[in-house]
Amino acid sequence: MRFLRTSLASVVAAAAGIAALAVATYGFTAFTTETARRVAVSRHPVPVPAVVLENQAGARFSLSALRGKWVIVDFVYTRCQDQCAVLDANFARLETMLARPIAANRLRLLSISFDPGRDTPTALAAYLARFGGRSPGWQIARPVDAADLVRLERVFGITVIADDDGGYTHNSAILVVDPRARLIEILGWRDPERAAREILGKLEG
Amino acid sequence: MKRAHAGLAAGLLPVLLAAPPLQRMLEASMTAQMLVQIPLLAIAGMLLGKSLPESAANRIQPWNRGGATGLIVVTFASACWMLPLSLDAAVVSPAADLAKFLTIPLLIGLPLASSWPRMSFVLRGVLLFEALATLFRMGWLYLISPVRLCNSYGLSDQQRLGEWLLMAGTALLLCIAWQLLWGSPKAAAGAAGPPGLRAGRPA
Amino acid sequence: MSALYPQTEALSSRERAVLNLYAISALAVFLLLMLFGLAMRAAQGRWINISPQVFYQLMTAHGAGMVGTVGLASSAIMWFFLRKYVRLSTAMFVANYLLFLLGAVLILAAVFIGGFGGAWTFLYPLPVHTMGIWSINAAAVFMLGYLVIGVGFLLFYLDAMLAVMRVYGNLGRALGWQWLFGGTIDKSHPTTVVASTMVIIVNTLGILGGAVVLVMCLVNAYVPRFPLDALLVKNLIYFFGHVFVNCSIYMAVIGVYELLPRYSGRPWGVSRPFLWAWAASTVMVLIVYPHHLMMDYVMPHWMLVTGQIISYTSGLPVFLVTAYGALTNVYRSGMRWRMPAMLIVLSMFGWAAGIVPAIVDGTIAVNVVMHNTMWVPGHFHFYLLLGVLPMVLAFLYHVAGGSSRSLETAGDRLSLAVYLIAGLAFVGMFLAGGRASEPRRYAVHFAEWLPYDRAASIAAALVIAAMLLFAIRISGALLKAGSGEKGSGEVPAHLPG
Ligand code: HEM
Repeated sequence: MRFLRTSLASVVAAAAGIAALAVATYGFTAFTTETARRVAVSRHPVPVPAVVLENQAGARFSLSALRGKWVIVDFVYTRCQDQCAVLDANFARLETMLARPIAANRLRLLSISFDPGRDTPTALAAYLARFGGRSPGWQIARPVDAADLVRLERVFGITVIADDDGGYTHNSAILVVDPRARLIEILGWRDPERAAREILGKLEG
Repeated sequence: MKRAHAGLAAGLLPVLLAAPPLQRMLEASMTAQMLVQIPLLAIAGMLLGKSLPESAANRIQPWNRGGATGLIVVTFASACWMLPLSLDAAVVSPAADLAKFLTIPLLIGLPLASSWPRMSFVLRGVLLFEALATLFRMGWLYLISPVRLCNSYGLSDQQRLGEWLLMAGTALLLCIAWQLLWGSPKAAAGAAGPPGLRAGRPA
Repeated sequence: MSALYPQTEALSSRERAVLNLYAISALAVFLLLMLFGLAMRAAQGRWINISPQVFYQLMTAHGAGMVGTVGLASSAIMWFFLRKYVRLSTAMFVANYLLFLLGAVLILAAVFIGGFGGAWTFLYPLPVHTMGIWSINAAAVFMLGYLVIGVGFLLFYLDAMLAVMRVYGNLGRALGWQWLFGGTIDKSHPTTVVASTMVIIVNTLGILGGAVVLVMCLVNAYVPRFPLDALLVKNLIYFFGHVFVNCSIYMAVIGVYELLPRYSGRPWGVSRPFLWAWAASTVMVLIVYPHHLMMDYVMPHWMLVTGQIISYTSGLPVFLVTAYGALTNVYRSGMRWRMPAMLIVLSMFGWAAGIVPAIVDGTIAVNVVMHNTMWVPGHFHFYLLLGVLPMVLAFLYHVAGGSSRSLETAGDRLSLAVYLIAGLAFVGMFLAGGRASEPRRYAVHFAEWLPYDRAASIAAALVIAAMLLFAIRISGALLKAGSGEKGSGEVPAHLPG
């Protein structure tokens, strides 16, 4: 059999190749980092670190203080002209659609700035007001410590790259943290209705 | 190129590419990573293949008849490194970057160099055809994608890469066409045995 | 061996079996798809009632199937004659057949199980806007079927490319380009090699275009987030569709070059105009397809104008050298008027006459009025039904005629007459309907259009009857030659080395 060994090797190579691709793409479901994160998180929730944040009123609090509540998180910077504006317009819709659990103190919305150098409490407050956000249902805050920002970005899978014109290019998502302070779901940011449905489903489930 | 020179180049190239300033520069842009860094790493692997002694190649030959196994390895390894999430991972995670510096020379360049001479004309043709089609498809995809496919790179970088991929595909196509139409007869005959003719005659 | 059946063309028993597979499958598929055509025509004439869905399923299967099967049959012609001059691998020829079969199964499953009815051109975004009639999966399986068929042809062409280059050094020399501007032409340079090489180059590029656009459509089907530019997709689809259909004609023409001289007794060799014609068509076929896009006013104007000018001229070089060559070859030659010879002459007429309505259709001013009327299927059925198909039949009659059974009976000749007359009537009704602004495809037809539809249906039934007789006669003779008659020209191993 002249081709026996080659056939054998080819089959092994193909099997290994398919396996490698399957692992890399979470069973052929994800081809980009963004979807891969979504699949990974929904399979294996990620604990959220207890970093200290400073909110739009200048008050400091630890993320661990929100334990026991559902927290819906997004990442923005207040000078953002496009993506964040859409994202937080959608957050404002969420605030309305999730009014009940918010009123019942079961859920909070939290926007986190990844530009703490420029986003002072004043800037944060103005930004929140622009979207009609009402504390304490919806707060916006910045990390106090630069190292904490890196940790947060890693845990939540946010990649921020500087633009040529002083702004940032970044990915966006609606991030769902459960009462045990675990990131359990990453939802698309363009469809608030769907996000609200999914979140309400989780609250009931 | 002499065997020793090839070996030296195969060793030096990855080290050079791994040097922090160059590495950072090439990974700062999607275009540079895809069209400069990764191809150079693959070339390093090919040089490595050239530098190995004949005996090594002959030993694996029974496992790689007609270059079939090599072709499969190359196909899957390239597919893995064509995933946007792999490019991202190589930028943010040192482990993934290390994997890239190892697997591209060893699983793409090296098997390509050792399998290509064994492949039949038809298999080579299929490989080149697929390579061309992939360049055009990916270029097109990157040009039209309204969303960023890599979190580490901006949209304009992605679109520039798309244009470059299309240009690379066109250039490759023209090279192949030129070679086939006017190339030297000897190169074309390749591994040809005596031409089996009945009535025809060479022009 | 006789001059009609030279020793160099003898088939080994394995080769004969493969050729029989090609021939008999093609004939069977032609018949089946013609019946689909008849059903459509009868439905347009309100003789039978089929739903729009079924109409479009039939039309998709008919279009894709006819185009593919003509390609398959004419690749057998190319294989048969080219293997005399260069060493082709039977394995690749078999691979092409098997992949074609697999692709055909996928396409038929997509159409008749999945309900896909997006036409053989699967123009984006129709396949993915399924309107609930078919599923995305059905559209994907259809496109996958095309891809598989494309791979088969690619293997066949790559093998032929290697074989040609082994003998002639490179493709340029095989095309005879070294003699374009001077030098003494080697008169024995085979016309078959020139035509085959042109097809190898052009159709490989066509398949490349297809491979790109098909995968992009597949990606889009499952990830609609990547919005394709519909116009670009259309450009690529017509590029590859147009090239594929043209290459079918050019592969079939090889049979004309090889066979006509044998029946007329006059040689037909290469000449400078011949080489120029094939060289020019090699380029033109690749850039002519924009004449399909005249309704797309967003196309750059220069492309449409180029398309129009080239569409007048693109087919012409090869057509002219072939038709002129055929005329001078036949004229006062003491032609032996046997079935293959008659079919070849019919094919020359069909090809020639088909070009006239094509040129009319390719004219922007006319197109504005007649696009999407029956004129369109009229012009392409003219050269497909009366041009290319007779070339294929001529080849098959020739090969099958090599057996001891006579294929020259009155029945054969009568069928040919019926095929010609009914074929003309069938195509004529398309063209007449087009002039009367009858819309093509599924539509509710005014009463004044019905006579065209009904006459066409009767004519189609006659064409099918003639075709049925051809198919039975050819298949029977081929199978008989394959069994039993070992002595007659069978050379088991004919290749030296
Ligand atoms: C008896 C023989 C045939 C009959 C009755 C027939 C009938 C038809 C009919 C009724 C249509 C639809 C026309 C319309 O309304 O637009 C059609 C389309 C078509 N036919 Fe035929 N046909 C025959 C032979 C052939 C042959 C031999 C070929 C090719 C080799 C062919 C290729 C096509 C193609 C490509 C289409 C276009 C489908 C589309 O519009 O997507 N047909 N045929």
